[in-house]
Amino acid sequence: MQPAAIGAGRSDDEDERALIAALRRGEEAAFVELIDRHGAALVRLARTFIRDRAVAEEVVQETWLAVLNGIDRFEGRSSLKTWVFQILSNRARSRAVRESRSAPFSAFAGDGADDQAAVDADRFRGEQHRWAGHWAAAPSDWSHLPEERLLGRETLALVLEAIRMLPPRQADVIVLRDVEGWQPDEVCAALGITDANQRILLHRARSKVRAALERYLAAEGATR
Amino acid sequence: MSADVEHLTCKELVEVLTNYLEDALEADERADIERHLVICRGCSNYVEQMRSTIGLLGRIPDDDGAVHSEKLLSMFGEWQAGRA
Repeated sequence: MQPAAIGAGRSDDEDERALIAALRRGEEAAFVELIDRHGAALVRLARTFIRDRAVAEEVVQETWLAVLNGIDRFEGRSSLKTWVFQILSNRARSRAVRESRSAPFSAFAGDGADDQAAVDADRFRGEQHRWAGHWAAAPSDWSHLPEERLLGRETLALVLEAIRMLPPRQADVIVLRDVEGWQPDEVCAALGITDANQRILLHRARSKVRAALERYLAAEGATR
Repeated sequence: MSADVEHLTCKELVEVLTNYLEDALEADERADIERHLVICRGCSNYVEQMRSTIGLLGRIPDDDGAVHSEKLLSMFGEWQAGRA
């Protein structure tokens, strides 16, 4: 089912231009190729905004329709992937706000440029202390944890839940960078932010997810 | 971070960690962090926790990957018909 226009040995740019041209001609194989490449990731991204799987899938379907309806106007200023994910993240967010039941706190929060510390200040020794700014309650060594606790389904579910609690921009950046594995410049292009801003948002997001994991793993340890 | 780099505190280190992991620091700032990590167990654990966190984020599953393609293909069919 490979579209004839998409062959091996082309550069990514040529490959993408061929895919777009095939879509514009209405070739189903080109659409299937696009779903194969990005479909699963789109569902995953949608679910970082929306808990209900059926609703998330509906948003993905709407996204694909918007892609088809917009393909003639797509000018290629960003990559096709970037454009598709932009459409999804806009739709998923507004849907999350509308569906108050499944709306994450993040949907109502600011743009994510908060100045919260990566770690609560009370974890460090105070100004009067000889070792001011050094750990009062140091982080523990997770390498002693059993693998099934650190890598288990429940832990992954907690990570997903922590992402849903993030302010929107932070959630976008951490999902694209760390869940989807995009390069920093791709994320900047998709979200229209500078590299420095991208790093600040990533920093806030990762710090919060780590803190959520730390609380979860410490509580687990105490109860077992 | 403009604090005295010879006396980088743990509190400061956790704030520049992403820049460190993203390789966005000057060589001397990098060296300060690495010196600190050699002598500070708490911060070494913190860095490892952060690496584990990033690793976990990369393991969030594809949600069984079923992308309800039949529905999508019939949607495509309708779209195609509408264009003709």
